[in-house]
Amino acid sequence: MDILSSVLLSGVVLGSLYALMATGLALVWTTLGIFNFAHGIFIALGAYVAWQFGTEEGFGLGATIGIVAAVSLLAALGCLIERTLVRPFLGHRNLVLAVVITTLAALIFLENSALLVWGPRFKQLPPLVDGTLAIGGLDIAAHEVLIVLLSPALLLALWAFLRLTYMGAALRAVSQNQDAALMVGIPVPVLFALAFGISAALAAIAGVLLGSIRFITPAMGNEPLVKALIVAIFGGLGSISGTIGGAYVIGMLEAVCVYFIGLYWTPAALFLCMILVLLVRPQGLFGRVD
Amino acid sequence: MAAVLEVEGVTGGYGRIPVLHGVSLQLDAGERIGLFGPNGHGKTTLLRTISGLLRPWQGDIRFEGQSIASRRPNRIVDLGIVHVMQGSTMFRDMSVAENLRLGAYSARARPDAAANLERVLQIFPRLRERSAQHARTLSGGERQMLAIGVGLMAAPRLLMLDEPTLGLAPRLKDELAEAVGAIAATGIPLLLVEQDVQFLLDLTSRLLMIEHGAVIAEFTAEAALDQAHIAEMYFGKRAN
Repeated sequence: MDILSSVLLSGVVLGSLYALMATGLALVWTTLGIFNFAHGIFIALGAYVAWQFGTEEGFGLGATIGIVAAVSLLAALGCLIERTLVRPFLGHRNLVLAVVITTLAALIFLENSALLVWGPRFKQLPPLVDGTLAIGGLDIAAHEVLIVLLSPALLLALWAFLRLTYMGAALRAVSQNQDAALMVGIPVPVLFALAFGISAALAAIAGVLLGSIRFITPAMGNEPLVKALIVAIFGGLGSISGTIGGAYVIGMLEAVCVYFIGLYWTPAALFLCMILVLLVRPQGLFGRVD
Repeated sequence: MAAVLEVEGVTGGYGRIPVLHGVSLQLDAGERIGLFGPNGHGKTTLLRTISGLLRPWQGDIRFEGQSIASRRPNRIVDLGIVHVMQGSTMFRDMSVAENLRLGAYSARARPDAAANLERVLQIFPRLRERSAQHARTLSGGERQMLAIGVGLMAAPRLLMLDEPTLGLAPRLKDELAEAVGAIAATGIPLLLVEQDVQFLLDLTSRLLMIEHGAVIAEFTAEAALDQAHIAEMYFGKRAN
Protein backbone atom coordinates (compact mmCIF):
# COMPACT_ATOMS: atom_id res chain seq x y z
CA MET A 1 0.00 0.00 0.00
CA ASP A 2 2.80 2.31 0.96
CA ILE A 3 4.57 1.66 -2.31
CA LEU A 4 1.44 2.29 -4.30
CA SER A 5 0.91 5.66 -2.58
CA SER A 6 4.45 6.78 -3.21
CA VAL A 7 4.21 5.74 -6.88
CA LEU A 8 0.96 7.72 -7.14
CA LEU A 9 2.54 10.71 -5.40
CA SER A 10 5.51 10.64 -7.72
CA GLY A 11 3.08 10.49 -10.65
CA VAL A 12 1.19 13.55 -9.45
CA VAL A 13 4.46 15.49 -8.92
CA LEU A 14 5.65 14.63 -12.42
CA GLY A 15 2.21 15.38 -13.85
CA SER A 16 2.20 18.80 -12.21
CA LEU A 17 5.58 19.71 -13.70
CA TYR A 18 4.62 18.38 -17.15
CA ALA A 19 1.37 20.34 -16.97
CA LEU A 20 3.32 23.60 -16.46
CA MET A 21 5.64 22.85 -19.39
CA ALA A 22 3.12 21.36 -21.79
CA THR A 23 0.58 24.13 -21.22
CA GLY A 24 3.16 26.68 -22.34
CA LEU A 25 3.90 24.64 -25.46
CA ALA A 26 0.20 24.25 -26.19
CA LEU A 27 -0.46 27.97 -25.66
CA VAL A 28 2.15 28.89 -28.27
CA TRP A 29 0.94 26.13 -30.55
CA THR A 30 -2.71 27.22 -30.44
CA THR A 31 -1.95 30.91 -30.76
CA LEU A 32 0.78 30.93 -33.41
CA GLY A 33 0.49 27.46 -34.93
CA ILE A 34 4.18 26.76 -34.37
CA PHE A 35 6.21 24.52 -32.12
CA ASN A 36 8.84 26.20 -29.98
CA PHE A 37 11.90 23.96 -29.65
CA ALA A 38 13.62 26.50 -27.40
CA HIS A 39 11.03 25.77 -24.72
CA GLY A 40 13.37 23.30 -22.98
CA ILE A 41 16.08 25.88 -22.45
CA PHE A 42 13.53 28.21 -20.81
CA ILE A 43 13.25 25.57 -18.08
CA ALA A 44 17.03 25.42 -17.54
CA LEU A 45 17.46 29.21 -17.73
CA GLY A 46 14.62 29.70 -15.24
CA ALA A 47 16.46 27.47 -12.78
CA TYR A 48 19.84 29.14 -13.44
CA VAL A 49 18.46 32.67 -13.02
CA ALA A 50 16.72 31.70 -9.78
CA TRP A 51 19.98 30.16 -8.59
CA GLN A 52 22.02 33.19 -9.63
CA PHE A 53 19.78 35.72 -7.90
CA GLY A 54 18.58 33.63 -5.01
CA THR A 55 21.35 31.47 -3.58
CA GLU A 56 24.37 32.41 -1.49
CA GLU A 57 26.78 31.30 -4.24
CA GLY A 58 25.09 33.78 -6.54
CA PHE A 59 23.88 37.26 -5.54
CA GLY A 60 22.28 35.91 -2.37
CA LEU A 61 19.12 37.97 -2.62
CA GLY A 62 16.83 35.26 -1.32
CA ALA A 63 14.54 32.72 -2.92
CA THR A 64 11.65 35.13 -3.52
CA ILE A 65 13.72 37.60 -5.51
CA GLY A 66 15.30 34.66 -7.32
CA ILE A 67 11.91 33.39 -8.46
CA VAL A 68 10.64 36.85 -9.40
CA ALA A 69 13.82 37.43 -11.42
CA ALA A 70 13.51 34.04 -13.12
CA VAL A 71 9.89 34.56 -14.11
CA SER A 72 10.26 38.14 -15.30
CA LEU A 73 13.56 37.66 -17.16
CA LEU A 74 12.31 34.51 -18.85
CA ALA A 75 9.02 36.17 -19.83
CA ALA A 76 11.11 38.94 -21.40
CA LEU A 77 13.31 36.38 -23.16
CA GLY A 78 10.20 34.65 -24.50
CA CYS A 79 8.96 37.92 -25.99
CA LEU A 80 12.42 38.60 -27.42
CA ILE A 81 12.58 35.21 -29.10
CA GLU A 82 9.13 35.72 -30.59
CA ARG A 83 10.14 39.15 -31.86
CA THR A 84 13.46 38.11 -33.39
CA LEU A 85 13.08 34.45 -34.39
CA VAL A 86 9.39 33.99 -35.12
CA ARG A 87 7.82 37.25 -36.22
CA PRO A 88 10.06 37.82 -39.26
CA PHE A 89 8.69 34.58 -40.71
CA LEU A 90 5.01 35.13 -39.96
CA GLY A 91 2.93 34.95 -43.10
CA HIS A 92 5.73 33.09 -44.82
CA ARG A 93 4.80 29.95 -46.70
CA ASN A 94 7.34 27.84 -44.83
CA LEU A 95 6.64 29.36 -41.42
CA VAL A 96 6.53 26.06 -39.51
CA LEU A 97 9.80 24.77 -40.95
CA ALA A 98 11.58 28.11 -40.60
CA VAL A 99 10.58 28.36 -36.95
CA VAL A 100 11.70 24.77 -36.28
CA ILE A 101 15.14 25.84 -37.48
CA THR A 102 15.29 29.21 -35.72
CA THR A 103 14.06 27.88 -32.38
CA LEU A 104 16.41 24.88 -32.58
CA ALA A 105 19.21 27.35 -33.22
CA ALA A 106 18.12 29.37 -30.20
CA LEU A 107 18.10 26.19 -28.11
CA ILE A 108 21.68 25.32 -29.07
CA PHE A 109 22.89 28.90 -28.70
CA LEU A 110 21.31 29.42 -25.29
CA GLU A 111 22.30 25.99 -24.04
CA ASN A 112 25.97 26.66 -24.80
CA SER A 113 25.71 30.19 -23.45
CA ALA A 114 24.42 28.77 -20.17
CA LEU A 115 27.37 26.38 -20.13
CA LEU A 116 29.79 29.30 -20.67
CA VAL A 117 28.19 31.50 -18.05
CA TRP A 118 27.52 28.98 -15.28
CA GLY A 119 30.11 26.31 -16.07
CA PRO A 120 29.78 22.54 -16.22
CA ARG A 121 29.45 22.06 -12.48
CA PHE A 122 26.02 20.80 -11.39
CA LYS A 123 24.05 23.22 -9.30
CA GLN A 124 20.99 22.78 -7.20
CA LEU A 125 18.39 25.08 -5.71
CA PRO A 126 17.47 24.60 -2.08
CA PRO A 127 13.89 23.35 -1.66
CA LEU A 128 11.45 26.25 -1.49
CA VAL A 129 9.99 24.78 1.68
CA ASP A 130 11.83 22.47 4.05
CA GLY A 131 10.67 19.47 5.98
CA THR A 132 8.10 16.81 5.43
CA LEU A 133 4.39 16.59 5.94
CA ALA A 134 2.64 13.50 7.22
CA ILE A 135 -0.41 13.01 5.04
CA GLY A 136 -2.43 9.83 5.36
CA GLY A 137 0.37 8.00 7.11
CA LEU A 138 2.82 8.97 4.41
CA ASP A 139 5.79 11.29 4.87
CA ILE A 140 5.84 13.65 1.93
CA ALA A 141 8.51 16.25 1.28
CA ALA A 142 6.94 19.66 1.70
CA HIS A 143 8.55 20.78 -1.53
CA GLU A 144 6.66 18.08 -3.43
CA VAL A 145 3.42 19.17 -1.80
CA LEU A 146 4.18 22.69 -2.97
CA ILE A 147 4.69 21.47 -6.55
CA VAL A 148 1.43 19.55 -6.47
CA LEU A 149 -0.50 22.56 -5.16
CA LEU A 150 1.23 25.41 -6.98
CA SER A 151 0.98 23.98 -10.47
CA PRO A 152 -2.82 23.60 -10.59
CA ALA A 153 -3.14 27.02 -8.94
CA LEU A 154 -1.05 28.64 -11.68
CA LEU A 155 -2.94 26.81 -14.40
CA LEU A 156 -6.22 27.87 -12.84
CA ALA A 157 -4.97 31.46 -12.90
CA LEU A 158 -4.09 31.04 -16.59
CA TRP A 159 -7.54 29.60 -17.24
CA ALA A 160 -9.15 32.55 -15.47
CA PHE A 161 -7.02 34.96 -17.49
CA LEU A 162 -8.01 33.31 -20.77
CA ARG A 163 -11.70 33.00 -19.88
CA LEU A 164 -12.50 36.03 -17.80
CA THR A 165 -10.36 38.91 -19.04
CA TYR A 166 -10.75 40.90 -22.22
CA MET A 167 -7.11 40.37 -23.16
CA GLY A 168 -7.46 36.64 -22.54
CA ALA A 169 -10.46 36.58 -24.84
CA ALA A 170 -8.41 38.42 -27.45
CA LEU A 171 -5.67 35.79 -27.12
CA ARG A 172 -8.19 33.01 -27.71
CA ALA A 173 -9.64 34.99 -30.61
CA VAL A 174 -6.21 35.14 -32.26
CA SER A 175 -5.87 31.37 -31.98
CA GLN A 176 -9.30 30.76 -33.50
CA ASN A 177 -9.25 33.15 -36.43
CA GLN A 178 -6.28 35.36 -37.04
CA ASP A 179 -7.76 37.38 -39.91
CA ALA A 180 -10.97 38.05 -38.00
CA ALA A 181 -8.91 39.09 -34.97
CA LEU A 182 -7.03 41.61 -37.11
CA MET A 183 -10.33 42.89 -38.46
CA VAL A 184 -11.74 43.72 -35.05
CA GLY A 185 -8.58 45.68 -34.29
CA ILE A 186 -6.69 43.20 -32.13
CA PRO A 187 -2.92 43.87 -32.42
CA VAL A 188 -2.11 40.25 -33.27
CA PRO A 189 1.72 40.50 -33.03
CA VAL A 190 1.46 41.90 -29.49
CA LEU A 191 -0.62 38.90 -28.48
CA PHE A 192 1.88 36.55 -30.11
CA ALA A 193 4.56 38.05 -27.88
CA LEU A 194 2.22 37.72 -24.90
CA ALA A 195 1.67 34.01 -25.61
CA PHE A 196 5.43 33.48 -25.82
CA GLY A 197 5.99 35.46 -22.63
CA ILE A 198 3.41 33.48 -20.63
CA SER A 199 4.77 30.23 -22.04
CA ALA A 200 8.34 31.09 -21.03
CA ALA A 201 7.24 32.27 -17.57
CA LEU A 202 5.48 28.95 -16.94
CA ALA A 203 8.60 27.11 -18.10
CA ALA A 204 10.70 29.23 -15.72
CA ILE A 205 8.49 28.23 -12.79
CA ALA A 206 8.75 24.59 -13.83
CA GLY A 207 12.54 25.05 -13.92
CA VAL A 208 12.64 26.55 -10.44
CA LEU A 209 10.56 23.69 -9.06
CA LEU A 210 12.57 21.07 -10.94
CA GLY A 211 15.89 22.70 -9.95
CA SER A 212 15.53 21.61 -6.36
CA ILE A 213 14.62 17.99 -7.02
CA ARG A 214 17.12 17.45 -9.84
CA PHE A 215 20.46 19.02 -10.75
CA ILE A 216 20.54 22.19 -12.82
CA THR A 217 22.33 21.63 -16.11
CA PRO A 218 22.00 23.41 -19.44
CA ALA A 219 20.28 20.32 -20.85
CA MET A 220 17.97 19.71 -17.89
CA GLY A 221 14.95 20.89 -19.87
CA ASN A 222 15.37 18.59 -22.83
CA GLU A 223 14.07 15.40 -21.32
CA PRO A 224 11.03 17.07 -19.71
CA LEU A 225 10.46 18.84 -23.03
CA VAL A 226 10.16 15.53 -24.84
CA LYS A 227 7.70 14.40 -22.19
CA ALA A 228 5.81 17.68 -22.52
CA LEU A 229 5.65 17.11 -26.26
CA ILE A 230 4.17 13.66 -25.69
CA VAL A 231 1.72 15.24 -23.27
CA ALA A 232 0.69 17.97 -25.70
CA ILE A 233 0.11 15.49 -28.53
CA PHE A 234 -1.40 12.86 -26.25
CA GLY A 235 -3.81 15.33 -24.66
CA GLY A 236 -4.88 16.80 -27.97
CA LEU A 237 -2.77 19.58 -29.40
CA GLY A 238 -4.54 22.85 -29.28
CA SER A 239 -6.70 22.20 -26.28
CA ILE A 240 -5.26 23.68 -23.09
CA SER A 241 -7.52 21.71 -20.77
CA GLY A 242 -6.79 18.52 -22.73
CA THR A 243 -3.08 19.22 -22.31
CA ILE A 244 -3.43 19.60 -18.56
CA GLY A 245 -5.39 16.34 -18.35
CA GLY A 246 -2.81 14.63 -20.53
CA ALA A 247 0.00 15.85 -18.27
CA TYR A 248 -1.39 14.07 -15.23
CA VAL A 249 -2.11 10.89 -17.22
CA ILE A 250 1.44 10.81 -18.59
CA GLY A 251 2.97 11.69 -15.21
CA MET A 252 1.08 8.86 -13.55
CA LEU A 253 1.92 6.45 -16.37
CA GLU A 254 5.59 7.35 -16.12
CA ALA A 255 5.66 6.78 -12.36
CA VAL A 256 4.00 3.40 -12.76
CA CYS A 257 6.33 2.39 -15.61
CA VAL A 258 9.44 3.47 -13.72
CA TYR A 259 8.38 1.34 -10.78
CA PHE A 260 7.29 -1.76 -12.68
CA ILE A 261 9.48 -1.91 -15.80
CA GLY A 262 12.32 0.40 -14.84
CA LEU A 263 13.70 3.75 -15.93
CA TYR A 264 15.33 2.36 -19.05
CA TRP A 265 12.18 1.23 -20.83
CA THR A 266 9.90 3.99 -19.60
CA PRO A 267 10.33 6.45 -22.51
CA ALA A 268 9.67 3.64 -24.98
CA ALA A 269 6.52 2.70 -23.08
CA LEU A 270 5.35 6.32 -23.08
CA PHE A 271 5.89 6.71 -26.80
CA LEU A 272 4.12 3.40 -27.40
CA CYS A 273 1.19 4.70 -25.40
CA MET A 274 1.13 7.88 -27.40
CA ILE A 275 1.15 5.96 -30.68
CA LEU A 276 -1.64 3.66 -29.50
CA VAL A 277 -3.78 6.60 -28.40
CA LEU A 278 -3.19 8.39 -31.70
CA LEU A 279 -4.16 5.24 -33.63
CA VAL A 280 -7.52 5.15 -31.89
CA ARG A 281 -8.01 8.88 -31.36
CA PRO A 282 -5.96 10.89 -33.87
CA GLN A 283 -7.30 14.10 -32.29
CA GLY A 284 -5.61 13.19 -28.99
CA LEU A 285 -7.06 11.80 -25.79
CA PHE A 286 -9.09 14.90 -24.92
CA GLY A 287 -9.00 16.56 -28.33
CA ARG A 288 -12.10 17.37 -30.31
CA VAL A 289 -12.79 16.47 -33.92
CA ASP A 290 -13.50 19.53 -36.03
CA MET B 1 -18.67 66.49 -50.51
CA ALA B 2 -15.48 65.47 -48.80
CA ALA B 3 -13.99 62.15 -49.80
CA VAL B 4 -14.04 59.50 -47.09
CA LEU B 5 -11.96 56.97 -48.96
CA GLU B 6 -9.65 57.57 -51.88
CA VAL B 7 -7.91 54.69 -53.60
CA GLU B 8 -5.36 55.92 -56.10
CA GLY B 9 -3.67 53.69 -58.66
CA VAL B 10 -3.24 50.81 -56.25
CA THR B 11 -1.42 47.71 -57.41
CA GLY B 12 -0.94 44.70 -55.21
CA GLY B 13 -1.55 41.03 -54.68
CA TYR B 14 -0.34 37.96 -52.84
CA GLY B 15 3.38 37.25 -52.58
CA ARG B 16 4.69 38.06 -56.02
CA ILE B 17 1.43 37.37 -57.83
CA PRO B 18 -0.20 40.61 -58.89
CA VAL B 19 -3.99 40.85 -58.63
CA LEU B 20 -4.68 44.56 -58.58
CA HIS B 21 -3.46 46.52 -61.60
CA GLY B 22 -4.03 50.14 -60.71
CA VAL B 23 -7.38 50.46 -58.95
CA SER B 24 -8.72 53.92 -58.33
CA LEU B 25 -11.96 54.86 -56.67
CA GLN B 26 -13.39 57.53 -54.46
CA LEU B 27 -16.12 57.22 -51.88
CA ASP B 28 -17.75 60.38 -50.53
CA ALA B 29 -19.31 60.94 -47.12
CA GLY B 30 -22.56 59.05 -46.73
CA GLU B 31 -22.09 57.31 -50.07
CA ARG B 32 -22.67 53.65 -50.76
CA ILE B 33 -20.71 51.97 -53.50
CA GLY B 34 -21.20 48.49 -54.87
CA LEU B 35 -18.37 46.48 -56.42
CA PHE B 36 -19.12 43.64 -58.76
CA GLY B 37 -17.42 41.63 -61.46
CA PRO B 38 -16.24 38.12 -62.22
CA ASN B 39 -14.69 35.96 -59.51
CA GLY B 40 -10.95 36.10 -59.08
CA HIS B 41 -10.54 39.59 -60.50
CA GLY B 42 -9.56 41.42 -57.34
CA LYS B 43 -12.64 42.56 -55.44
CA THR B 44 -11.71 40.75 -52.24
CA THR B 45 -8.03 41.59 -52.74
CA LEU B 46 -8.96 45.26 -52.95
CA LEU B 47 -10.84 45.09 -49.64
CA ARG B 48 -7.95 43.21 -48.01
CA THR B 49 -5.54 45.87 -49.25
CA ILE B 50 -7.69 48.72 -47.92
CA SER B 51 -8.00 47.06 -44.50
CA GLY B 52 -4.25 46.51 -44.27
CA LEU B 53 -4.17 42.71 -44.48
CA LEU B 54 -2.20 43.21 -47.68
CA ARG B 55 0.18 46.04 -48.42
CA PRO B 56 -0.28 47.97 -51.65
CA TRP B 57 2.78 47.75 -53.91
CA GLN B 58 2.13 51.07 -55.54
CA GLY B 59 -0.38 53.85 -55.26
CA ASP B 60 -2.00 55.35 -52.21
CA ILE B 61 -5.04 54.77 -50.04
CA ARG B 62 -6.35 57.71 -48.04
CA PHE B 63 -9.02 57.75 -45.36
CA GLU B 64 -10.40 61.21 -44.59
CA GLY B 65 -7.36 62.70 -46.22
CA GLN B 66 -4.62 60.76 -44.41
CA SER B 67 -2.68 57.98 -46.03
CA ILE B 68 -3.30 54.53 -44.57
CA ALA B 69 -1.32 52.58 -47.17
CA SER B 70 1.40 51.42 -44.77
CA ARG B 71 -0.55 51.16 -41.53
CA ARG B 72 -1.10 48.03 -39.52
CA PRO B 73 -4.57 46.46 -39.68
CA ASN B 74 -5.39 47.27 -36.05
CA ARG B 75 -4.50 50.95 -36.61
CA ILE B 76 -6.80 50.99 -39.63
CA VAL B 77 -9.63 49.52 -37.55
CA ASP B 78 -8.90 52.19 -34.92
CA LEU B 79 -9.58 54.81 -37.58
CA GLY B 80 -12.96 53.22 -38.23
CA ILE B 81 -12.50 51.16 -41.40
CA VAL B 82 -14.20 47.86 -40.74
CA HIS B 83 -13.98 44.92 -43.13
CA VAL B 84 -16.46 42.07 -42.78
CA MET B 85 -14.80 39.17 -44.53
CA GLN B 86 -16.39 36.76 -46.91
CA GLY B 87 -17.81 33.62 -45.31
CA SER B 88 -16.02 34.18 -42.01
CA THR B 89 -17.09 32.07 -39.03
CA MET B 90 -15.44 34.61 -36.72
CA PHE B 91 -14.32 33.03 -33.44
CA ARG B 92 -15.73 29.53 -33.72
CA ASP B 93 -15.26 28.31 -30.17
CA MET B 94 -16.71 31.39 -28.53
CA SER B 95 -20.30 32.25 -27.83
CA VAL B 96 -22.15 34.74 -29.98
CA ALA B 97 -22.13 37.20 -27.08
CA GLU B 98 -18.37 36.86 -26.66
CA ASN B 99 -17.81 37.32 -30.40
CA LEU B 100 -19.81 40.53 -30.31
CA ARG B 101 -17.96 41.75 -27.23
CA LEU B 102 -14.64 41.28 -29.04
CA GLY B 103 -15.99 43.29 -31.96
CA ALA B 104 -15.60 46.38 -29.77
CA TYR B 105 -11.90 45.72 -29.13
CA SER B 106 -10.61 48.98 -30.55
CA ALA B 107 -10.34 51.82 -28.04
CA ARG B 108 -12.64 53.98 -30.16
CA ALA B 109 -15.46 51.41 -30.10
CA ARG B 110 -15.27 50.35 -26.46
CA PRO B 111 -17.10 53.26 -24.75
CA ASP B 112 -20.17 52.73 -26.97
CA ALA B 113 -20.12 48.93 -26.77
CA ALA B 114 -23.37 48.63 -24.80
CA ALA B 115 -25.31 50.93 -27.10
CA ASN B 116 -23.89 49.29 -30.21
CA LEU B 117 -24.74 45.84 -28.89
CA GLU B 118 -28.36 46.87 -28.44
CA ARG B 119 -28.39 48.22 -32.00
CA VAL B 120 -26.88 45.02 -33.42
CA LEU B 121 -29.40 42.85 -31.59
CA GLN B 122 -32.19 45.05 -32.91
CA ILE B 123 -31.00 44.61 -36.49
CA PHE B 124 -30.36 40.88 -36.02
CA PRO B 125 -32.87 39.61 -33.43
CA ARG B 126 -31.70 36.09 -34.18
CA LEU B 127 -28.32 36.81 -32.60
CA ARG B 128 -30.12 37.56 -29.36
CA GLU B 129 -31.72 34.10 -29.44
CA ARG B 130 -28.36 32.49 -30.19
CA SER B 131 -26.44 34.62 -27.70
CA ALA B 132 -25.07 31.71 -25.64
CA GLN B 133 -24.37 29.39 -28.58
CA HIS B 134 -20.90 28.82 -29.98
CA ALA B 135 -20.28 30.46 -33.35
CA ARG B 136 -19.46 27.13 -34.97
CA THR B 137 -22.98 25.86 -34.27
CA LEU B 138 -24.63 28.68 -36.25
CA SER B 139 -26.16 28.22 -39.69
CA GLY B 140 -24.61 29.93 -42.72
CA GLY B 141 -27.05 32.84 -42.56
CA GLU B 142 -26.58 33.30 -38.84
CA ARG B 143 -22.80 33.24 -39.24
CA GLN B 144 -23.11 36.03 -41.77
CA MET B 145 -25.29 38.00 -39.39
CA LEU B 146 -22.73 37.47 -36.65
CA ALA B 147 -19.87 38.62 -38.88
CA ILE B 148 -21.74 41.80 -39.79
CA GLY B 149 -22.80 42.25 -36.16
CA VAL B 150 -19.19 42.01 -34.99
CA GLY B 151 -18.28 44.55 -37.67
CA LEU B 152 -20.93 46.95 -36.37
CA MET B 153 -19.62 46.52 -32.82
CA ALA B 154 -16.37 48.08 -34.06
CA ALA B 155 -18.30 51.35 -34.59
CA PRO B 156 -17.45 51.63 -38.31
CA ARG B 157 -17.04 54.95 -40.04
CA LEU B 158 -16.65 53.02 -43.28
CA LEU B 159 -18.09 49.53 -43.53
CA MET B 160 -16.83 47.10 -46.16
CA LEU B 161 -18.93 43.98 -46.67
CA ASP B 162 -17.56 41.15 -48.80
CA GLU B 163 -20.33 39.07 -50.38
CA PRO B 164 -22.68 39.04 -47.39
CA THR B 165 -25.24 36.87 -49.18
CA LEU B 166 -22.87 34.28 -50.61
CA GLY B 167 -24.51 30.86 -50.60
CA LEU B 168 -27.65 31.97 -48.78
CA ALA B 169 -31.23 30.94 -49.59
CA PRO B 170 -33.35 33.68 -51.23
CA ARG B 171 -35.44 34.22 -48.11
CA LEU B 172 -32.33 34.77 -45.98
CA LYS B 173 -30.88 36.94 -48.68
CA ASP B 174 -33.90 39.26 -48.44
CA GLU B 175 -33.62 39.31 -44.66
CA LEU B 176 -29.95 40.25 -44.91
CA ALA B 177 -30.61 42.86 -47.59
CA GLU B 178 -33.12 44.44 -45.25
CA ALA B 179 -30.56 44.45 -42.43
CA VAL B 180 -27.87 45.99 -44.62
CA GLY B 181 -30.46 48.54 -45.74
CA ALA B 182 -31.12 49.41 -42.09
CA ILE B 183 -27.38 49.84 -41.55
CA ALA B 184 -27.10 52.00 -44.66
CA ALA B 185 -29.98 54.16 -43.43
CA THR B 186 -27.89 55.18 -40.43
CA GLY B 187 -25.57 56.96 -42.85
CA ILE B 188 -22.47 54.77 -42.53
CA PRO B 189 -20.57 54.85 -45.81
CA LEU B 190 -20.62 51.40 -47.39
CA LEU B 191 -18.36 49.53 -49.77
CA LEU B 192 -20.28 46.45 -50.76
CA VAL B 193 -18.93 43.55 -52.79
CA GLU B 194 -21.61 41.30 -54.23
CA GLN B 195 -22.29 39.06 -57.21
CA ASP B 196 -26.01 39.74 -57.10
CA VAL B 197 -26.40 42.98 -59.02
CA GLN B 198 -30.03 43.41 -57.99
CA PHE B 199 -28.91 43.32 -54.36
CA LEU B 200 -26.38 46.06 -55.11
CA LEU B 201 -28.87 48.17 -57.05
CA ASP B 202 -31.27 48.13 -54.11
CA LEU B 203 -28.67 49.22 -51.61
CA THR B 204 -26.08 51.39 -53.33
CA SER B 205 -26.04 54.53 -55.37
CA ARG B 206 -23.07 53.73 -57.56
CA LEU B 207 -21.76 50.48 -59.03
CA LEU B 208 -18.18 49.84 -60.07
CA MET B 209 -17.32 46.86 -62.21
CA ILE B 210 -13.94 45.31 -61.45
CA GLU B 211 -12.20 43.15 -63.97
CA HIS B 212 -8.53 42.14 -64.24
CA GLY B 213 -7.72 44.10 -61.11
CA ALA B 214 -9.01 47.45 -62.27
CA VAL B 215 -12.23 49.43 -62.30
CA ILE B 216 -13.40 49.09 -65.89
CA ALA B 217 -16.87 50.59 -65.75
CA GLU B 218 -19.03 52.73 -63.52
CA PHE B 219 -22.80 52.91 -63.37
CA THR B 220 -25.13 55.04 -61.34
CA ALA B 221 -28.31 53.46 -60.10
CA GLU B 222 -30.35 56.25 -61.72
CA ALA B 223 -28.95 55.52 -65.15
CA ALA B 224 -31.65 52.89 -65.72
CA LEU B 225 -29.30 50.01 -65.59
CA ASP B 226 -30.80 46.82 -66.82
CA GLN B 227 -29.71 43.28 -66.20
CA ALA B 228 -29.22 42.57 -69.89
CA HIS B 229 -26.61 45.28 -70.13
CA ILE B 230 -24.67 43.82 -67.22
CA ALA B 231 -24.94 40.31 -68.62
CA GLU B 232 -23.40 41.75 -71.76
CA MET B 233 -20.56 43.25 -69.77
CA TYR B 234 -19.93 39.90 -68.13
CA PHE B 235 -20.20 37.59 -71.08
CA GLY B 236 -19.67 39.84 -74.07
CA LYS B 237 -22.11 40.45 -76.89
CA ARG B 238 -23.96 37.47 -78.17
CA ALA B 239 -22.38 36.28 -81.41
CA ASN B 240 -25.07 35.62 -83.98
